Amino acid sequence: MTSWQIVVAVVAVYLVTNLVVGLLPGSRSSDTVAGYVAGDREFGTLVMYFVTGASVFSAFAFLGGPGWAFSRGAAAFYILGYGVLGMAPYFALGPWAARLGRKHGYVTQGAMLAHRFQSPWVAFTAGIVSVIAIIPYVALQMRGAGIVLEQVTDGHVPLPLGAAIAYGVVLIYVWRSGVMGVGWTNVFQGVLMIGIAWAFGIYIPMKLYGGVGPMFEALAAARPEMLTAPGLDASGNPWTPVAYSSAVLVSSLGLMMWPHLFMKAFAAKDDATIRRTIMLFPTFQIFLLPLFLVGFAGVLYASAPSNPDAIMPHIMLTSGLPAIVVGIFCAGALAASMSTGDALVHGAASIAVTDVYGAASGTSLSQHDQRRLIRWLAVAVGVVAYAIALPSGLSLVGMLLAAYGAIVQLAPPVYAAFLWRRATARGVVGGLLAGTSVTGFLVIWPQWRPFGLHEGLVGLAVNIATLVLVSLGTQPPATQHVADWIATSRNRINQPS
Amino acid sequence: MKRSAGWIAAVYFVAMAVAITFPGIRPFNTIRPFVFGIPFVFAWVLAWVLGSLVIFVMLYRTYSK
Repeated sequence: MTSWQIVVAVVAVYLVTNLVVGLLPGSRSSDTVAGYVAGDREFGTLVMYFVTGASVFSAFAFLGGPGWAFSRGAAAFYILGYGVLGMAPYFALGPWAARLGRKHGYVTQGAMLAHRFQSPWVAFTAGIVSVIAIIPYVALQMRGAGIVLEQVTDGHVPLPLGAAIAYGVVLIYVWRSGVMGVGWTNVFQGVLMIGIAWAFGIYIPMKLYGGVGPMFEALAAARPEMLTAPGLDASGNPWTPVAYSSAVLVSSLGLMMWPHLFMKAFAAKDDATIRRTIMLFPTFQIFLLPLFLVGFAGVLYASAPSNPDAIMPHIMLTSGLPAIVVGIFCAGALAASMSTGDALVHGAASIAVTDVYGAASGTSLSQHDQRRLIRWLAVAVGVVAYAIALPSGLSLVGMLLAAYGAIVQLAPPVYAAFLWRRATARGVVGGLLAGTSVTGFLVIWPQWRPFGLHEGLVGLAVNIATLVLVSLGTQPPATQHVADWIATSRNRINQPS
Repeated sequence: MKRSAGWIAAVYFVAMAVAITFPGIRPFNTIRPFVFGIPFVFAWVLAWVLGSLVIFVMLYRTYSK
């Protein structure tokens, strides 16, 4: 066998194992929406830990993390910083949402907001914003998988074919097992990607420089500008402190608003499981460290890939590693892509059916029919994302940052639901529309961004202002309903007033 | 007990947000001294991530009583 065939063989073993792990739990959940979308609310700590961790760490972390360290230096620290900042509020929000979900049967955050604000249009608007943000994110994961396979097989498996194979596997286990398939494959994928990241993160600097310390000594002498924040921008000029800081803030505020993450509160067995998952999350976050080390190792490396995101596969291929090791690395990168992609596909389809379709049609399908519709929509999301993923020349990191700009717009409705009794449905819908429009405008015309702020942050300010003003200008919500709702979230029995 | 644990955590995460972004990061934004072989500012951000583990453990223990 030639070396690319060995790589393909290793990847094939990984994909088959993944498929088996994903298909096995399919018969264990009930034939209901709660079974397919929230795993009958039975997720324990092991699955929750890996679902959360592996869904956060995607192809972007596995390829983009080293890519940023390699091409932009300390700019990559922003990725390290925002994870725990974003996760922290969920220590309170997660159990609040979970209690409401158990009592009222929600499986999406849109359904939760619709009930709180007594309007299906809140779910409809939030659902549309979510799906718009998720599809480019799925496309990014597919492209990541395709790039890795194309690189390590010397082009024998071209990008479109690689992406199609990896996501074909994802669609099969999401179709059959729903969130249970996502959960158990994420355990497998998570262990694989962490193990591989640490092994290479220590090994590569050792092999190339004789250790992590000597590597940074060499970098400090040759490229000191890469080792202090905010590092460099995409074209190699110094990045601005404002852009660095607002990237941290938008990503922190947006992180847990991602429906595929937020929704897992409805899958957790109990409050303690959610809290334990968050407690353990920094241990997952630390896994960025070895990935950054590989990226920094690439800065003074003899050759450079044409695309910085390919630095990790580039070093693997050119530093004389045996083909089987390259294959294992490739499996790790695919695991990173697929563990996020599966949760996204499943999340987008669940939202499109329960929130968007439910609000627009006004009819209620049977549990069985809803479940079937979600499956078909998961396939549709996969196909649309695939069509977006194929054209070359698209900036994936730009797409991710734009997606964050959209998803962070869900933060004001979610926080207002729990913390501001006076917030109304019209305020929330108005804020979402205004914030998303402003963000979209600034994505297309970046020259209008004030002070170089992240477009999502500007949209957020408009969103909050609209939410507050419109809420105050519309009729107050039913006091008793809001009081009961908030009391349930806080686990208090509400006294009739 | 729960209330004060919540406040300590809130203060920690606000302090972290200030410490790892501009202008709060500026005094620590140096390459040397190296900490365990990595540049100081890199270690600084990492230390806040590791510190959050301590805060989360404290929160979890308080809330699971």
